[in-house]
Amino acid sequence: MIIVLKPGAPQEECEKIKGILLKNNFQINEIVGVNMTIYGVVGDTSTFDPRLITVNDWVEKVMRVQEPFKRANRMFHPEATIIDVSGVKFGGKRLAVIAGPCSIETKEQMNTVAAAVKAAGATLLRGGAFKPRTSPYSFQGLKEKGLEMLTAAGKENNLPVVTEIMSADKIEEFVDCVDLIQVGARNMQNFELLKELGKTNVPILLKRGLSATIEEWLMSAEYIMAGGNERVILCERGIRTFETYTRNTLDLSAIPAIKKLSHLPIIVDPSHAAGMWWMVEPLAKAAIAVGADGLMIEVHNDPENAWCDGGQSLKPERFDNLMKELSEIAQIVGREL
Amino acid sequence: MIIVMKPGAPVEECNKIKMGLEKQGFYINESRGVNFCILGVVGDTSMVDKRRISANDWVEKIMAVQEPYKRANRLFHPENTIVDVCGQKIGGKKLAIIAGPCSIETTVQMNTVASAVKAAGANFLRGGAFKPRTSPYSFQGLKEQGLDMLVEAGENNRLPIVTEIMSIDKIEKFVECVDVIQVGARNMQNFELLKELGKTNVPILLKRGLSATIEEWLMSAEYIMSGGNDNLILCERGIRTFETYTRNTLDLSAIPAVKRLSHLPVIVDPSHAAGMWWMVEPLAKAAVAVGADGLMIEVHNDPENAWCDGGQSLKPERFADLMQELKKIAAIVDREI
Repeated sequence: MIIVLKPGAPQEECEKIKGILLKNNFQINEIVGVNMTIYGVVGDTSTFDPRLITVNDWVEKVMRVQEPFKRANRMFHPEATIIDVSGVKFGGKRLAVIAGPCSIETKEQMNTVAAAVKAAGATLLRGGAFKPRTSPYSFQGLKEKGLEMLTAAGKENNLPVVTEIMSADKIEEFVDCVDLIQVGARNMQNFELLKELGKTNVPILLKRGLSATIEEWLMSAEYIMAGGNERVILCERGIRTFETYTRNTLDLSAIPAIKKLSHLPIIVDPSHAAGMWWMVEPLAKAAIAVGADGLMIEVHNDPENAWCDGGQSLKPERFDNLMKELSEIAQIVGREL
Repeated sequence: MIIVMKPGAPVEECNKIKMGLEKQGFYINESRGVNFCILGVVGDTSMVDKRRISANDWVEKIMAVQEPYKRANRLFHPENTIVDVCGQKIGGKKLAIIAGPCSIETTVQMNTVASAVKAAGANFLRGGAFKPRTSPYSFQGLKEQGLDMLVEAGENNRLPIVTEIMSIDKIEKFVECVDVIQVGARNMQNFELLKELGKTNVPILLKRGLSATIEEWLMSAEYIMSGGNDNLILCERGIRTFETYTRNTLDLSAIPAVKRLSHLPVIVDPSHAAGMWWMVEPLAKAAVAVGADGLMIEVHNDPENAWCDGGQSLKPERFADLMQELKKIAAIVDREI
C-alpha cells in the first residue's frame, strides 16, 4: 500500500499516520519527492482498512499495490483450478457447455430440449425455476415444481443440472438436487447469500453483476471461498454500458483479465449479453477464441412461445450447428468440445 | 511515480529499469515487500513514457503519484484564477450567466432573446453559428452570417458573446469578433484545434467531452495552457452514462472535484445535460449550490419553433423567474448574480 501525503503536511500529522501503521505491524518506507512525500507500507495490507488513513485531511490518496482478494488470487495459486461438477470438468482442456431453456415450463419442454442439447454435445443442462425478473408482474418461475422437472430431465439424459438460487432459505433443497448452483448477476453482491453458499461444498456458478468491476466480482468469489467453498466458477454475461442496441455489452476482455488475476475457471453467457438469438453465434465463437473455459447458452424448442427471453434463445437445430463450428475454433486454441 | 514489479522479478530486471531512470536524472527509492519489489521514482515524471516501462514483462503496474497536468494544477497555483472577459469576471464572487438560443436563426430572434436575457440579469450572450450536429442532414448553423447576427445583438445589448468554434481555419475570424470561444464536447480532444487556440489570448470555454474523465478534461485544458493561453473556463455539460431518460447525466460532483484539483473557473450547462427544459431549473439551482462559477442556459423566444434543441430551451419569462430564485441560492453560498 502506498500513502501519498499532501504537500506541506505537518510533521505531527505524519507521525500520527506512521503511528497507526506501526501499531498494525507494518514497515514504512518513506520517499520524499519534489512536491510529495509518500509512504510505502510493507506487510500484508489486505485486511487493513485504508479509510483509517484517508480520513486524515493531509492524505492526498492511498493506492493499493496488492489485490484485496487472496483465495481467488492467482499469485498464491499459480495453477489453473479445475472444478469437477458431477463428472464434468470446468477449467481443463475440454470446454464445458451448459445449455437449456431460460425458464422451466413443462416436463415435455424440458425433456425435448435436454435430449436435443445432449445430442448436440452439451455437457450440462440449465433451466430457471426461480426467476429474477425486473417486473414483479412477470412470470416468476415454476419454483419447486420446476426444480423437479429439471432434475428429472437431467437424470433422464445423464446431464448434471445448473439452476439459479435467489435466497438462502432454498440452499438446503438446492444442495440435495442441483449439481451446480448459479448465483445470478443481480445477486452477485447479496453477501448474506454468498456467505451461506460458502458453507456448502456444492460448486457455485457466480455471474458477474450488471455493473460490477472485475475486482468486485472476484471479491464476491472471495466471499464464497472465505467460507470454505473453493469451488467457484465465474461467468461473464455482459455489463451495463450506455449502449442500448444490445441488452448488455459482452466484456470479453474480462476473460484474459480474470485468467491473469485468478486461478478460477471462467465461462461466458452470450445469450444474456446480447439479448438477441442471432448474436449468440458470433459471440459464442469469440468467447472460445478469447480463452473462455466454457459457455452457457439458452436453447428452446419453441422460442416464439417461450415464457421468458424467447428472443435470445436458439432453436435446437441452430445450437447443433453452432456446436460443430465451435469445436473447430476450440481445436485452434488448443481446447476441445 | 511508483513502479510495482511482479513477484519474483529478477534483480537484474529491477536494476535495468532503475538504471534507465537514473540515467534520466531520477532518484530511485527501492522497497522490497512480502510479495513485491517497488521502485519509487523521485523527480518530475510528467514527461516519462510510462508505457515504455510497462512494456517490460516483469512490471506489474505503474501508479502515478502526481497529476499529469501542471499549469491547470492547483498544487502550483493555489489561488483561484479569475478570467476577465471585456470587464466581466468569471471565477470571482459574481456568477457568470451565459444565456441565449442554441442556434442563431434571425436578427430579430437574436435581438429579442438578447434584450430579454440582459433584462433578466444574464451577463453573456450565447448562440451557435457553427453547429456540431449528430446527423449531417440536420441544420448545420448559419455560419459567418449567424456570427454577424450574434455580434450585432451583443453590441446592441452590451453583452460579451460566446460561440462555438469547430475548426482551426475559423480561429482568425473568431479572434476578431468573439469574446469567449467555446470548444464543444465533441472537440474536447481535437488536439490540433486546442494547440492553435493555445496560441491566441482569447478566453476559451472548454466543455467536458461526452465520455471524458476529469483528468482527460484537465489534460485538454493543459493543451491550451501549455501553448500560452491561460484564459480558460471549464464547463460541465453532462456525460454519457447508461441512463437514457435524460439526454446526458449531469455530473455535479465534477465541480468540487475540479475546484480541488485545479484553479480554473468551472461553470455548468444544465440545458444540454438534461435535454428537457423542465429539468433546467432544478439542475441550475443545484449547480449554483454545489459551487459552480456560473451557468450556461439555453433561452429561446419561441422554443416550439426553434431550429435546434427547442425542447431544452427556456422561454424568456421562465428564465427571468429562474434568475430570481438563483439569486437567493447564490446569496446562501456567498456568491452573487
